[in-house]
Amino acid sequence: MKRSNDLLVGTAVIAVILTLTGATLWVKQSDIGEKRSKVVARFHDVGNARIGNAVVIRGVRAGRIDALELEPTGWVHVRMSLDRAMQLPSDPVVLLNESSLFGEWQATITSRSALPHDEKIATEVAESSGGGAVLPGATLPDIAKLTAVAGQIAGDVANVAGRVEVAFDDSAARELRFSIRNFAELSATLARTVRSHAGDLDTLSRGLGSAVASLERTAQSAERMAARIDTSTASGEVRQIVDDIARAAAELRQTTAQIQTLSQQLARSQGRLDTFLANGDSILSKINSGQGSLGLLVNDPGLYHNSDSLVTQLRQLVNDIHANPGKYVSVRLF
Amino acid sequence: MTSSSAVLTQTAPSGTMSIAPSRAVETIGRSTRRSLEAVGRSMAFVWETIRAVGDVRTWSASTMVQMRRLGVDSLPIGTFIAVFTGVVLALLASYSFTGAVPLYFVGTLVEKTVIMELAPVLTGLALAGRVGANIAAELGTMRVTEQIDALETLAYDPYAYLVVPRVLAGVVMFPIVVGAAMLTGVASAWLASVGLLDLSSPDFVKGLRLFFSPFDVRYGLVKSASFGLAVTLIGCQRGLGTRGGAEGVGRAATSAVVYSAVLILVLDAFWAVVWLLGTRQ
Repeated sequence: MKRSNDLLVGTAVIAVILTLTGATLWVKQSDIGEKRSKVVARFHDVGNARIGNAVVIRGVRAGRIDALELEPTGWVHVRMSLDRAMQLPSDPVVLLNESSLFGEWQATITSRSALPHDEKIATEVAESSGGGAVLPGATLPDIAKLTAVAGQIAGDVANVAGRVEVAFDDSAARELRFSIRNFAELSATLARTVRSHAGDLDTLSRGLGSAVASLERTAQSAERMAARIDTSTASGEVRQIVDDIARAAAELRQTTAQIQTLSQQLARSQGRLDTFLANGDSILSKINSGQGSLGLLVNDPGLYHNSDSLVTQLRQLVNDIHANPGKYVSVRLF
Repeated sequence: MTSSSAVLTQTAPSGTMSIAPSRAVETIGRSTRRSLEAVGRSMAFVWETIRAVGDVRTWSASTMVQMRRLGVDSLPIGTFIAVFTGVVLALLASYSFTGAVPLYFVGTLVEKTVIMELAPVLTGLALAGRVGANIAAELGTMRVTEQIDALETLAYDPYAYLVVPRVLAGVVMFPIVVGAAMLTGVASAWLASVGLLDLSSPDFVKGLRLFFSPFDVRYGLVKSASFGLAVTLIGCQRGLGTRGGAEGVGRAATSAVVYSAVLILVLDAFWAVVWLLGTRQ
């Protein structure tokens, strides 16, 4: 019983410990028996690379990162173990970069000629070269930085789009539509105007041509006149002309003064006429409204008829006086 | 104590101290005293156990028996729990990761969760029921049938003869059972991922290796050892403190399971705060 207990317990303990240890070593990819070759590369910065990250050659996993060591010289040494079967490319360079969006990093061993065309990477590789057996290395920017920049750009685009959306609302669209329509109408009108004025312009240009011709003729006449003046100057006719003009100017000044006086009188007469017309207008207004005797006479038909019959009777009386003066006038001398 | 408070109440002038407040204060005092007594008894029990470790000849004889009973015999229940835990965890992880996270992270989640948390805690809780109740019932029965008194009469130290072998067996064999549960849980999750999910074996292994650290295994095993210590100590303490015949044995077994389960969860939080937080900082 005691032996069986010992056997059972020992078996269980050994089995579990061995299995657990073996599984741990297998998962950890421990290099038991040093079946791997070692490679060291140096970097200014290793980003988020960690021990255990994969080492990749031309996309194939070839090993793992064993250690990250900060050297006194300022470099970070990354120690990697590779499968012995793996051959390094010619002039090897190590790049540290993200292998996924979830924070996994990897070390990619490539040849210098296959480096991405990036000035920063080339500079880093050039600076880290010359370390003897230590390979040069460079760190690519992590996706977080790239996505941060992309996010900033996306934010700016969103801001611009938002502003455009705010500015270009329904009313703005309507106004733009109206503006386009108005512009179309305006352009049509302009076309019509241009067409209609094309003839006018022709006419104008023709008139301008004739005007130029007239000017030319006038210039020729002036030239001839100047020539005559030149010839007249010599015989004293110009003096006479100037004197005549002076006299004419004096008469003209006198005539102007008389016209000025006449115009002043005319202005006064116009004032009086205005007053007369105003009074007359007032009187006529009163007559029309039936005020005064004349107004009553004009506006009362009965009074008109009475006056008419009175005039008729007066006319008969005058005729009768003419015919029989002695009936009405008795002249006695004594 | 009750009579003295009654005297105090009777001699108080013109009823300045009523009965209800005095009883409340009395209850608080009694609870405090009992708590301190329990802590004192526990500390004394632990001290007696530590002292008894020196009596190697007494405890070495029965330690292997206890290791087989507590450890080897518990392997089936431990691995059984781990099998289903691993399968469910793999399916749950794939369900959560659908369309958002690469599926190979199932391996990462299974590794971290099973090794660091589920295997130690679930196995610990299962063993708290199986081992803790077993120890408390066994020692409680020995106590109520006066077998322990007989041992003391025969100059046997009950701590060296009964407690130390069980505690040592618990501390040693709990990590073994939990280690087996870790292996079984990860293996079952692997099989479930390959068989039930659209996940290849290399992808699962890739996820498994992605953030694996030997610390994860160390953390789980040390934690399970502390669980074994707690479960066996509580079982022994409850069993040796049994009073009142068969009913007392039942109470001892029940309280041993309850206290063990509670202490396992408290220790789990303790290790997370002390070790994980300390490692992170």
